Amino acid sequence: MRLLYAFMAAWCLTFGLAGSLFAQNIDREDTIIFSCLSNVGPLNPHLYSPNQMFAQSMVYEPLVKLKPDGSIGPALAEKWAISDDGLHYTFYLRRDVRFSDGEPFNAEAVAKNFEAVMGNAERHKWLGVTGKIAGFEAVGPYEFKLTLNSPYYPCLEDLSLPRPFRMLSPAAFPDDGDTSKGIKTPAGTGPWRLAKIALGEYDLFERNELYWGEKAKVSKVLVSVIPDPVSRALAFETGEIDLIYGLGQINFDTFDRLRQTPKVSAEISGPMGTMAAAINTAKGPAAELKVRKALNHLTDKAALIKGVTLGTQPRAETLFAPEVPYCDLNLRPYEYDSAKAAALLDEAGWKLAPGQKIREKNGQPLVMDFCFVGNNAAHKAIAEVVQAQAGRVGLALNLVGEEEDSFYRRQKDGDFHIILNPTWGPPFEPHALVSSMLLPAHADFMAQAGLTMKADIDARINEVLATTDKAVRQKLYRDILTMLHEQAVYLPLFHDALFMVYRPERLQNARFGAERSYIPFEEFSVK
Amino acid sequence: MLKFIIKRLLTLVPLLLAVSVVVFLLLRLGPNDPAMSYLRLSNIPPTDAALAEARATLGLDRPVAVQYFAWLGRALRLDFGISYVTKAPVTDHLLHYLPNTLYLAGVSILMTIGLSLPLGIMAARYQGRWPDHLSRALAYIGVSTPSFWLAFLMIMLFSVKLGWLPTRGLGGLSHVIMPAFSVALMSLCINMRLIRGNMLEQTHTRQVLYARIRGVKEGYITRGHVLKNSLIPVVTALGMHIGEILGGAVVAEVIFAWPGVGRYMVSAIFNRDFPVMQCFILMMTTIFVLCNLFTDILYAAIDPRMRLANEGSGND
Repeated sequence: MRLLYAFMAAWCLTFGLAGSLFAQNIDREDTIIFSCLSNVGPLNPHLYSPNQMFAQSMVYEPLVKLKPDGSIGPALAEKWAISDDGLHYTFYLRRDVRFSDGEPFNAEAVAKNFEAVMGNAERHKWLGVTGKIAGFEAVGPYEFKLTLNSPYYPCLEDLSLPRPFRMLSPAAFPDDGDTSKGIKTPAGTGPWRLAKIALGEYDLFERNELYWGEKAKVSKVLVSVIPDPVSRALAFETGEIDLIYGLGQINFDTFDRLRQTPKVSAEISGPMGTMAAAINTAKGPAAELKVRKALNHLTDKAALIKGVTLGTQPRAETLFAPEVPYCDLNLRPYEYDSAKAAALLDEAGWKLAPGQKIREKNGQPLVMDFCFVGNNAAHKAIAEVVQAQAGRVGLALNLVGEEEDSFYRRQKDGDFHIILNPTWGPPFEPHALVSSMLLPAHADFMAQAGLTMKADIDARINEVLATTDKAVRQKLYRDILTMLHEQAVYLPLFHDALFMVYRPERLQNARFGAERSYIPFEEFSVK
Repeated sequence: MLKFIIKRLLTLVPLLLAVSVVVFLLLRLGPNDPAMSYLRLSNIPPTDAALAEARATLGLDRPVAVQYFAWLGRALRLDFGISYVTKAPVTDHLLHYLPNTLYLAGVSILMTIGLSLPLGIMAARYQGRWPDHLSRALAYIGVSTPSFWLAFLMIMLFSVKLGWLPTRGLGGLSHVIMPAFSVALMSLCINMRLIRGNMLEQTHTRQVLYARIRGVKEGYITRGHVLKNSLIPVVTALGMHIGEILGGAVVAEVIFAWPGVGRYMVSAIFNRDFPVMQCFILMMTTIFVLCNLFTDILYAAIDPRMRLANEGSGND
């Protein structure tokens, strides 16, 4: 018995000691505590997952950046000149910039970064500009020249993206210069530098004291790893984290609850993308225009937004929000009208026999697959609401909630009638998303494949990306988006808006960034 | 005894091999395509060409048997490949997270033993009176409460309302109390009832009656005769609880943002990160089997009947 007590005492002592070893002391003063579902990754500016975009944007900067009004403004390049034929871009770089490791920023450094990115061009093929770059060179110490093989208007937009065209310190490159295999240290020119990675626990960012612009107001940003959205909300309520920001960080109902909590500011951003479903124009009943239009008319978006998002997201009538450049087109919305939807289905020959619940044509029932990622609770709820609404007019939707691999395989193979296909938000809209409509691996391409005018749409997409004339560009975008809207290829439901939750007495000057993945931490301050 | 241990260790080899085959085949022959997962997690558009290239890179174009032996060969050298998500060696990350899980599981086991012993003894001693009824009620509640729900209830009470304990993460002892308790509760309750039952059973044995006749003090009878003999089945049960606790830790690690292997595994399952899943399952099987082995050895050490029976069968 004594042995047992001794054993337990020893055990207590061991774990007591172990506990104190595990203890981490976080200095809350002058620190913003944010959270993310995983570590931010090794922060390679030229690669994708597991690097978190918001963190890449904290540390690395582009030559030019997206402004809140959607236009392009200077960043590491003070100004730039584009030749009349749209083939030559000359960037005049800032002279007062150093990387966080002390290395000077100049045209040589830019060329080295472009070399690394273009050396791995296959990986960046989704991005239009990588297919257009014919050459680049440092023409002077602070003058960098980029040459395209054919005109491509969103060149500057593509260069402004969070990845891959952002600038890494030349000293941080691996010896062979190939960053696709890894980097030595995450050193950029941005307002922050990554000071510490504690795997599975947190990432610590410190103010970059060498930053050329206005320095960050707080000295540290600590990004805690919290995978579960409910745990994140609870950590906010106890004051362990200062900020909840973005899409998917918390559930709609949690946001709604926090919105009603005293002394908490819960804000909703403007549109940052669209939650839409793509309808397959090449498969079964969805190939019929009247069926696609009926789907648009039978969906009661107001009820869906209220039921699923608790009224937090703005209603969407078109694939892109009117705030997106070139997309304020005044297209006529498909208003909610189930009688009209029923009439359209009748016209298309899908009749509802007395006593039946599902319409039929030539003995075939009107059944379509609605595909989504099964473990996404919000997507499942959306699918269920649309299913219930479609059922009222005799259209049966078969819900196919699958794990992600099967879902992406369906996208690629076009094996769907309707598939949830959210857009990407700024800075990718409209050009990068429209450009991806040309790629057969994307759901958009497969959904549009049955349109008689698909070749025409693709030709216009190629044309709009090449034209240097803004008026022509506007007209081409109007043509493309009008065709897609009139052909009812998409079922836009609501625009994705970001959430930001904080306590004004702790966090000040909090605001939304211009891009979906950019959090302007440097402007925030704490008390 | 040594013979017994060696014999048990040798049976581990075929067991682990069988597990490795099942793990490998289950993941390979399921509806998932690792090449598709790889492309999706690397943000590469899954064109046919990209899929074919990924299959070649990952060796998925070879026959399953060849893939298995190649994988097994590397696994024996503790090389479980590169995670599709983090692009870092799987073994490195799992070994980084493992001490945290063992710490959590260790504290849970400590709680299980430390709380079930006095509660079980008390329930037996005051059989049919209020401590017994209380322990029964506690056992019913404890066994039927899902650990994730208990975890959130505890956070609501102790962190949000009272502000006594932190909601998440590693840290001092205050950080481990809630996760460990949420993991331990079920085992604790089962153990408590087991100890009570065993003790009541032991009080009716002949040696206790004889001790009473000899005039041995009641306190000594409880400690020296009843409790000692009641603990033998508890040791076996503890071996089972280790499995429960490791399983429960997965849930607790996600809720309490505890950087352990369980949480790493959950995100791997979510992402279909095959190399991580394979390594995790094998690692957990090994730990579980080793714990059971340890329990058996302990059992043999404290119960001569068990040891002698084994030695007897060994001599046959």
